[in-house]
Amino acid sequence: MLHQFRTAQGDIEVTVAKQGDVWHLGEHQAIVEDDGRLSIHLSNGMKGYATTAKVGDVWWVHFEGHTFCLERIEPGASQSGDGGGLIAPMPGKVLEVFVEIGQSVEAGETLMVLEAMKMEHRILASNSGEITGVHFAAGEQVQQGSVLLEMVEDEA
Amino acid sequence: MVSKVLVANRGEIACRILRACREAGLQSVAIYAENDTKSLFVELADQAILLQGDSITATYLNQEQILEIAATTGCDAVHPGFGFLSERADFARAVTQAGIQWIGPSPSAIERMGDKMTARKTMRDAGVPVIPGEEIEEEDENEALIAIQQASTRVGYPLLLKASSGGGGKGMRAVERPEDLVEAAQSARREALAAFGDGRVYLERMLTGSKHVEIQILADRHGRTIHLGERECSVQRRHQKVFEEAPCATMTEEIRSAMGKAAVAAAMAVHYEGAGTVEFLLAPTGEFFFLEMNTRIQVEHPVTELVTGVDIVREQLRIAAGEPMSCGDLNLRGHAIEVRLYAEDASNNFLPAIGPLAVFRPPEGPGIRLDTGVRQGDDVTPNYDPMLAKLIVWAPSRVEALQRMRRALDEFVVLGTITNLRFLRELCDVPDVIEGSTDTTMIDRLWPNGWSASIPVELEDGALMAAAVSESSGLHHQSPSNAQGTEQSGPLSPFMTLNRRYP
Repeated sequence: MLHQFRTAQGDIEVTVAKQGDVWHLGEHQAIVEDDGRLSIHLSNGMKGYATTAKVGDVWWVHFEGHTFCLERIEPGASQSGDGGGLIAPMPGKVLEVFVEIGQSVEAGETLMVLEAMKMEHRILASNSGEITGVHFAAGEQVQQGSVLLEMVEDEA
Repeated sequence: MVSKVLVANRGEIACRILRACREAGLQSVAIYAENDTKSLFVELADQAILLQGDSITATYLNQEQILEIAATTGCDAVHPGFGFLSERADFARAVTQAGIQWIGPSPSAIERMGDKMTARKTMRDAGVPVIPGEEIEEEDENEALIAIQQASTRVGYPLLLKASSGGGGKGMRAVERPEDLVEAAQSARREALAAFGDGRVYLERMLTGSKHVEIQILADRHGRTIHLGERECSVQRRHQKVFEEAPCATMTEEIRSAMGKAAVAAAMAVHYEGAGTVEFLLAPTGEFFFLEMNTRIQVEHPVTELVTGVDIVREQLRIAAGEPMSCGDLNLRGHAIEVRLYAEDASNNFLPAIGPLAVFRPPEGPGIRLDTGVRQGDDVTPNYDPMLAKLIVWAPSRVEALQRMRRALDEFVVLGTITNLRFLRELCDVPDVIEGSTDTTMIDRLWPNGWSASIPVELEDGALMAAAVSESSGLHHQSPSNAQGTEQSGPLSPFMTLNRRYP
């Protein structure tokens, strides 16, 4: 069965096939245990148990002390090609806005300060670029997922 | 006499206290806001009373409402835990005046230690060394800013601005250069005003390369004030502790004795009663300076409990009831380490995260203690502090304690909400941590551009396979995540992807 996941390295297609109780991905093998965990045997000889849970479209996987978030792309779903939208990570209040539309910013520059959970959080530019949208002013409340700012990142 | 205790707190510390009450055979009452209706601590109390109101101010900080509940439920004692009203002298006073026992020190002791500027003066008078710095008495914003600028030239850079009513890193700013002072001062005052209703800040020289070492003390009404040795809590991010241990790896018997004496002197200077913690900065030279005294139970108290064998919360209950503390001569035994599991994205400047705890499976086995206020199926919300749990290990030696912590963190499974688990696990492999040469600037020094997990490629293969097989097998139909959680679309912070480093 073919599945597509979105990872930090880009979208990845994974095809797993079942033979008897054993799932195969290339040379890697997996068995679903009675308690819902997966017994995984990698081609390099490494063995371990993975615990998984799906929240929304995301598969959370714990494997060998690491936790992974893998967003499953539904077959036929359109790719949301969002650019440099900076999104509120949680509900809060905008304390300060340091940029305006058209302004050039450097990587690491503070664009906005949010207050959430009684702490101030700085929204930083991850790359240099130009601000193309400012959607909130100081004092305004933002909801989780609100697009705060938009920017076009410079070509690397 | 204490027979029925109202716990004026929530979450992990409320669970800790309610369990101690149960063990001591005391009746207990929990108070909870509506959004805590399903929280674990509500279950652990004999009686649980809903607080009216929506905000924290209207609920957990609402003195009148809490006092009224204490009266109507017939409580004869109030345990404040930490945070919330625990260091509010006016609340301690109101509780006492209502004829109810306050489980903690007197209101005047809270006042003299709670206002950090007053505490500095009290300690200087008691002969306890304080960090070079200056108090700023001006309350008006502009006058205070001028005074801060003038004081900064005398204190010198780098310096720290600290809120006089502060704690937990709130209202605190490190200032490296004079040109950053005004913005930092405004920001610190604003945060302090929002968090504590008091914008006053003071200045302290930043003693770089120092360890944060604190002494646990206990004092009863029968003339005994003792210390229970030290804890080292140098590993901090954003001035909040993440990794704490007892004893301190580099402690000598001589310094422990001197620091213990200073801590006892500090406590006696304010006629202290109950459990408290005196925090010091320990410079590489062996000199130490008073930082502040926390007049309450502390988050990291379990490490002291594990190496001394003293149940500190139980002693609090005993002392408040007027009994002598039960512990005799103390010996430190073995080594204990605590890490704080936060719902936060360590790879994105430790930004708090929210989400469902679709899977929450703590480690088990010898030498492991988990203090938490959550369980699988709960939601992590932005309403309260993002600390999910404290994982504490004990082992005969420091080396073995670190080995045990690595094993425990590898076993710990939390799915559905981003946590700092991997960050904590990698901390255990940092040479400074292994050698015990940690200081308060370690995290910033090691990861000046932020931390990011290093993930072996073959593990990513395994994870992708696990996800694909889970999807193919329809495992999500039996996923333990709750209904509310499944509405959320996964890893919450889009910053994570923006900031992630590519291998």
